[in-house]
Amino acid sequence: MDKIAEKEVNVSIWQIAKAVFAAFIGIRKKSDLENDAAILKPIHVVVGGIIGGLLFVLGVVLLVKLVLS
Amino acid sequence: MAAVHGDTHGHEHDDHHPSGIMRWVTTTNHKDIGTMYLWFSFTMFLVGGFLAMGIRAELYQPGIQILEPELFNQFTTLHGLIMVFGAIMPAFVGFANWQVPLMIGAPDMAFARMNNWSFWLLPVAATLLIGSFFVPGGAAAGGWTFYPPLSTQGGLGVDMMIFSVHILGASSIMGSINIITTILNMRAPGMTLMKMPMFVWTWLITAYLLVLVMPVLAGVVTMLLTDRHFGTSFFNAAGGGDPVLFQHIFWFFGHPEVYIMILPAFGIVSEIIPTFSRKPLFGYSSMVYATASIAILSCVVWAHHMFTAGMPAVGQLFFMYATMLIAVPTAVKVFNWTATMWRGSMTFETPMLFSVGFIFLFVIGGFSGVICAIVPIDIQVQDTYYVIAHFHYVLVSGALFALFAGAYYWIPKWTGRMYNETLGKWHFWLSMFFFNLTFFVQHFLGLAGMPRRVPDYNLQFADFNMISSLGAFGFGLTQLLFLYIMINCIRSGEKAPQLPWEGAKTLEWTHLPTPAPYHSFEKPPVVN
Ligand code: HEM
Ligand SMILES: [Cu+2]
Repeated sequence: MDKIAEKEVNVSIWQIAKAVFAAFIGIRKKSDLENDAAILKPIHVVVGGIIGGLLFVLGVVLLVKLVLS
Repeated sequence: MAAVHGDTHGHEHDDHHPSGIMRWVTTTNHKDIGTMYLWFSFTMFLVGGFLAMGIRAELYQPGIQILEPELFNQFTTLHGLIMVFGAIMPAFVGFANWQVPLMIGAPDMAFARMNNWSFWLLPVAATLLIGSFFVPGGAAAGGWTFYPPLSTQGGLGVDMMIFSVHILGASSIMGSINIITTILNMRAPGMTLMKMPMFVWTWLITAYLLVLVMPVLAGVVTMLLTDRHFGTSFFNAAGGGDPVLFQHIFWFFGHPEVYIMILPAFGIVSEIIPTFSRKPLFGYSSMVYATASIAILSCVVWAHHMFTAGMPAVGQLFFMYATMLIAVPTAVKVFNWTATMWRGSMTFETPMLFSVGFIFLFVIGGFSGVICAIVPIDIQVQDTYYVIAHFHYVLVSGALFALFAGAYYWIPKWTGRMYNETLGKWHFWLSMFFFNLTFFVQHFLGLAGMPRRVPDYNLQFADFNMISSLGAFGFGLTQLLFLYIMINCIRSGEKAPQLPWEGAKTLEWTHLPTPAPYHSFEKPPVVN
C-alpha cells in the first residue's frame, strides 16, 4: 500500500462519518453529496449507517443515564 | 409430452398471450401485475371501508344498536388488518410494479414469475380473512395487534388470521426481493443511484425494511400458533412465558411497518410536488439521506407503543427521546417539500391538491405522534381515541391521500386517457372535509378519555361521536366517487396528451409514449 492509497482510506472513513451524521439529521450540501457519491461505495454507507445507529442508541442511553442520575 | 412441449415452445416466441381470464392468471408483465395489485387493494379498501361504516354506525349513538359487542370487536380487528395488509401495502406494491421499471428504464421486474406468485397469494389471504367471519366463533376479535391472551383464546378465526398473515408476509417478502433486485440490477445505463427518482429511492429503502421486519411478524404469529396448538408457553405467564414479550416482538415489526406504509407515500408526493411547482425537488440528496435514516431509526423506537405495559424509567426515557428524535428527519422532508413549492409556478390539478393536502394533514398527524411519545401524556391517552386520531391522520390523510395523488398523476400514463378534472377536485375537497370531520373530533374524544375498541360509551361522548360518524359516512360515499372517476376515465376518458403534466421530468414521461406500451424499454434508454 503506498502513501496515496493510505490517505484515501483515511479520507473515506472521515467522509463516511460525515455522510452518516448528515443523514441522521437529513441535511447535506449538494457538492458534498456529489463528493460522497464519487468516493463512497454502498457498503461503506451501510456499515457506517449501522455503526451510526449503534452510536445513536448508545448516545441516547447515556443521555437517559445522565438524566436519571 | 415432448411433442406438446415443442409446440408451445414455438408459440412463446411470437407475441401471443392467452386472452380473457387466463391473461391475468398467467401474466408475468409488470403492468398487468401492477394493475391487479391496484384493483385488489381497492377492493379490499371497500371491504375495510364497509367494516368501518359498521363501526361508525354502531358508535353513532351510545348504547348497542346494530352490532353485538363480539361482532363489533371482529369488525374493528378485521378493519385494521384488511386496511393495513390488504389495502395500503398492496396498493404501494402495485405502484412499484407499474412505476419502478418505467422510472429506471427497465423492461420489466427482475423476477417476473415470482411477481405473478406474489400477487396471486393475496386473494388467498384475503379469502381466509374475510371467510373467518363465517366460521364458528367468528373472526379474530383481539384487535389488529392481536395481543395475547385474547389471541391465544379465540377460535378457528384466529388460526385463519394467523395463516393469512403468514401468506401476506411471504408475498411481501417476495415482492421486496423483486423490487430490490430490479432497482439494483436493471437500471438503464447512466441511471446512477443518486439520479434515481425519489419514488424509486423510497421503495428501495422500504423494501429493505420489509425484508428486515416481515420475518419478525411471521415469527411472532408462529409463536402464537404454537402457543395455541402445540403446548408452548411463549406468551403464557402460567407456563413461565410473558405476554409482554409478544408486544415487544410485535412492535419491533409494527413500528417499522408504519414507516413501510409512509415512505413510498413520501416518494409519490416527492414526484408530484416538483412537477406541479415546475421546479426540481429541493434538497434531493437530503431527502434520500433522511429516508434512509428514518428507516434505521424506526427500528429503535418500538416500545413507545408500550408505555403503559410497565417498563423501567430508563426504558421510558430511552424510547421517548428516540421517538422524538425521529421526528427530525421527518420534519426535514416537510421543509423540503415546502421549499420546493416556494416561488414555483404552481398549479393545482387533482394530484397536486392531494399532495398539498397530504403535507398539511400529515404534519398534524406527526405532531400528535410527538405528543403521544411524551410518556406522561401517553399514559393518559394510550388506548384512547387520541391514538386513533393520530394514526388516521398519518395513514388516511398520509398514505391514502398519497395513493390517490399517485393514481390521478399516473392514470394518463397507464391508460392513455384523462380523468375528469372537475370530479377529481370534488373528490379531493369532499375527502378533505369529511376526513377532518371524522377524525379531528376524535382528538377531543381521546383527550376526554373515551377508550378505543368499545361498542358503547358514556353519554358525555355522544355529540362528538355523532359528528365523527356523519363524517365517516360522507368519507365512505366520497370514495365511491373515486371509483366512478377511475372507471369513467378508463372507459371513456378524453385522450391524454403525450405529456399531460408539463413539469414532469422522469423517464416514463420523457422517454415513453402515452399510454405506455405493453412492453416498454426493451432497449434501455440512455440517461444523461
Ligand atoms: C413524527 C412521527 C411519529 C411519531 C413521533 C409517532 C408516535 C407514535 C406513538 C408514541 C404511538 C403510540 C401511541 C399509543 O399507543 O399510546 C403511535 C401510534 C401509532 N402510530 Fe405513530 N408516530 C409517528 C408517525 C407515524 C406514521 C408516519 C404512521 C403511519 C403511517 C404512524 C402510525 C401509527 C399507528 C398505526 C399507531 C397505532 C398503533 C395501534 O396501537 O394500533 N405513526 N405513534
Ligand atoms: Cu410507532
